[in-house]
Amino acid sequence: MHNISLALDGAWKVLLVSLALGAGLPALFAIGIKAMAFGTGGDAETDHAAPHPVGRVVAMVCFAVVVAVALLGILFIVASGMGKALSFEHIYPTIVDKGH
Amino acid sequence: MILALVVVTALGFDFTNGFHDTGNAMATSIATGALKPKVAVGLSAVLNLVGAFLSVEVALTVTNAVIKVQGADGAPKPEFLADQGVPLLLIVLAGLVGGIVWNMATWLLGLPSSSSHALFGGLIGAAIAALGFGGVNWVGDGSKLDGVVGKVILPALFSPVVAGVVAGIGTWLIFRITAGVAQRFRETGFRWGQIGSASLVSLAHGTNDAQKTMGVITLALIASGHWQSTTGIPFWVKLACALAIAAGTYIGGWRVIRTLGKGLVEISSPQGMAAESASAATILASSHLGFALSTTHVATGAILGSGVGRRGATVRWGVAGRMVIAWLITLPSAAAVGAVMWWIGHLLGGLAGSLVVFGILVVSAAGMYLRSRKTAVHAGNVNNEWDGKVGIPATGETSKELTRA
Repeated sequence: MHNISLALDGAWKVLLVSLALGAGLPALFAIGIKAMAFGTGGDAETDHAAPHPVGRVVAMVCFAVVVAVALLGILFIVASGMGKALSFEHIYPTIVDKGH
Repeated sequence: MILALVVVTALGFDFTNGFHDTGNAMATSIATGALKPKVAVGLSAVLNLVGAFLSVEVALTVTNAVIKVQGADGAPKPEFLADQGVPLLLIVLAGLVGGIVWNMATWLLGLPSSSSHALFGGLIGAAIAALGFGGVNWVGDGSKLDGVVGKVILPALFSPVVAGVVAGIGTWLIFRITAGVAQRFRETGFRWGQIGSASLVSLAHGTNDAQKTMGVITLALIASGHWQSTTGIPFWVKLACALAIAAGTYIGGWRVIRTLGKGLVEISSPQGMAAESASAATILASSHLGFALSTTHVATGAILGSGVGRRGATVRWGVAGRMVIAWLITLPSAAAVGAVMWWIGHLLGGLAGSLVVFGILVVSAAGMYLRSRKTAVHAGNVNNEWDGKVGIPATGETSKELTRA
């Protein structure tokens, strides 16, 4: 019954990583939308408040982070397809050989 | 000649894989009107094509996980190589036919079942018929997740739950955070997020699923002595598989798309983004950790989760229940077809046997296609209001979402 314990062990890891990326990123995107609505004001919000320019800046930062992480995701697919792996040892991502 | 039949059948499977699974990535974007139906399947097809080329990792061991016809390096065992590999080719052919027939049948019913399970089921059935129960790698050797239990059954149990939980939490967070944002503004904004996350799922699907067919074809080539390397895949195989899965995706399994997009949950753009992000994250995280899983199970779990996560959302548990039943019977049903096909092929023997098996495939596929025309689901009616019937489009007005987009 090694399979079951191995699967449970793996399922936890998958759940944690997926929660961070799969729920975290949409939440960040949602913060971006909220900030954008705050920045746009008027009909974008249910209370029709005046626009707050700072909201747009916050929104752009949020969207930029989401896009950057999504691009990293694509890079990750490409790298693992090519038999490489992504490494964060230099903080910024670099492509290295697998098992490095 | 038998080899040619295997290659054609494998590409046929790859094609059904593509069109059966279009909905996993694109159903939610089509349902919310983020993308027009034709644009959605086109985008998904291109990304599947690109994804298929990105997967150059040796996929020979795909079949190794469930049936015992290969050594550890992926090369076929010598006892299957007699007579230009015909014993192995027949197992593979029968298995593929089992996979295709089951894929077509579930598509006809509009049920999103797993293409990987259909393929593995077909191969398992053919292997049992040919070699007995010992021909199947049930649990592996215990050192890692392997065998039918470790690579097929357990991931099928946990992956929809994980994806569903993630999508549910994501949906809940999104609606909490965007409280106070006008609905129109929110819908428009999240369409972009939806398109991006659905594209990621398409790309991941291309890399994961086209690989399986490439492995099967290369295995057949090695068995018949047309290819030697166990570490490389002929370029034409890669090209053919990439084109087959992309073509299948572009044709679009509209019946399945409809069930996933309209049948399970009345979905909005934020839910769509949460569902696709959860799918993409779960698929990528699992494949990184070496888990085989079905895109279909993940996507369905995620869409359900996005319905549960939004207060007051409509979730049709009856439809979900039918899907779960389809999942449960996919493996045994495809196995039964695979086994029967092997017996027929073996009884008649040699080329005649393979030709008859191939003929049965063509006739049953054509029959199911013709049956599907009676109640065709296509880009024009895929978004019609749900009328409670899986696989059958509602007649009448095109839904508002579609015209608004």
